[in-house]
Amino acid sequence: MSNGADLIHQMAEGDAEAFARFYDRYAPLIYPLILRILPDPADAGECLQDVFWESRQRARTYDAARATPDAWLVTRARARAIERMRSTRRRRESAPLGAARAASAALLERPPSVERSVLMRAFERLPDPQREALELAYYGGLTQTEITARLKQPLGTVKTRLRLALDRLREMVKPA
Amino acid sequence: MSVTHEPFDTFAALHAVGALDGDDLRMFEAHLATGCARCATIVRQTEQALARAAMAGPPEPPPSDVRERLVKRAAAATAPGRRRWIPLTVGIVAAAIAAGAFSAAYVAARYEARLGQMAREASAAKERLARTEADLREELALLRDPTTRMVELRGEAAAPGAVARVLWADGAGGLLLATRLPPPPPGKVYALWTLDGNAPRPAGVFVPDDGGRATLKVAAEATGAPLRVLSVTVEPEGGAAAPTGAIALAPR
Repeated sequence: MSNGADLIHQMAEGDAEAFARFYDRYAPLIYPLILRILPDPADAGECLQDVFWESRQRARTYDAARATPDAWLVTRARARAIERMRSTRRRRESAPLGAARAASAALLERPPSVERSVLMRAFERLPDPQREALELAYYGGLTQTEITARLKQPLGTVKTRLRLALDRLREMVKPA
Repeated sequence: MSVTHEPFDTFAALHAVGALDGDDLRMFEAHLATGCARCATIVRQTEQALARAAMAGPPEPPPSDVRERLVKRAAAATAPGRRRWIPLTVGIVAAAIAAGAFSAAYVAARYEARLGQMAREASAAKERLARTEADLREELALLRDPTTRMVELRGEAAAPGAVARVLWADGAGGLLLATRLPPPPPGKVYALWTLDGNAPRPAGVFVPDDGGRATLKVAAEATGAPLRVLSVTVEPEGGAAAPTGAIALAPR
């Protein structure tokens, strides 16, 4: 079975089968992350499609020395999902009540398994304050200043929590 | 990594999760631009750890139509001509070589034909370049014109991540520059609408390139002066007399 980097290189050559295999291999792993950021399945599906299409179009620029296939794809998936979430949020802020209701309904209808599936064990093992800051940054797309305002904590505290959380995470998921 | 070089170790970790902002971000970017290998490694390792963690949960099957749409789109993108081009060229070259073995005159004729074809291609390329240069000069003139105004458009339901700008000089016309546009559904294009009094007026249709970018020249007569941009909508390929489809971009 080809590894992720091989599939990306084949995809760059326009190999349609490699693209399909790349999708089959990674889509079920990436989709929970997108769904965590974009709870509406229709939105998440569209975002997933954009992510894979963009990956196909950018496959030529993939550099195995700079990123693993996982990191290459996850970084893009998260960025696109957060962009979409921000844009939806902006629209919702100026949208009539009906749209806001629809959005809250979508949140309520989110399958319970999703929360559990993406809140992976590594995040769960972090102390609560660190996990909270990291989730706001990673899933919420908030910056240190925005997290400071949200948690009503000093900026220095937020930076330290994030730094500790990320250091621990690096240790926990170190490749064997 | 036992020696710390704070605050950059912290900045590098936070940068990997997109949390750095303000002066910290500026300071870190300037530092990274000096080529700090240590920071580049921390960013890379942190991104990698986040990716491994994000993929560690149980898989969740995505909606089945996503795969179908992607496969169709990939087939459409690779189908026309491109793949046949190489065998075709190989065929022509092989034919030329085979002919050469039989007759020098035939080879000369092939060369002449080929030279003629190259001359036509060169002339077409020159024409394209001249058109591009003229377009660029026009765009530069628009940017230099002190009366040029800019209207910013923001992505709406049909293209949430998209952004666009319309540069406009009354009497001279303008330019729509869009980015991050998703490809329109099959058989559809994007259409720009301006306002003439209270009535929408079509100002051109376009399709973004593979990178989601699009440029559309807008004729001076596409709107009354001053310019009022209504929206960009998704319309059938043949165009429409008035907006009927979903809104992709609208003024901020």
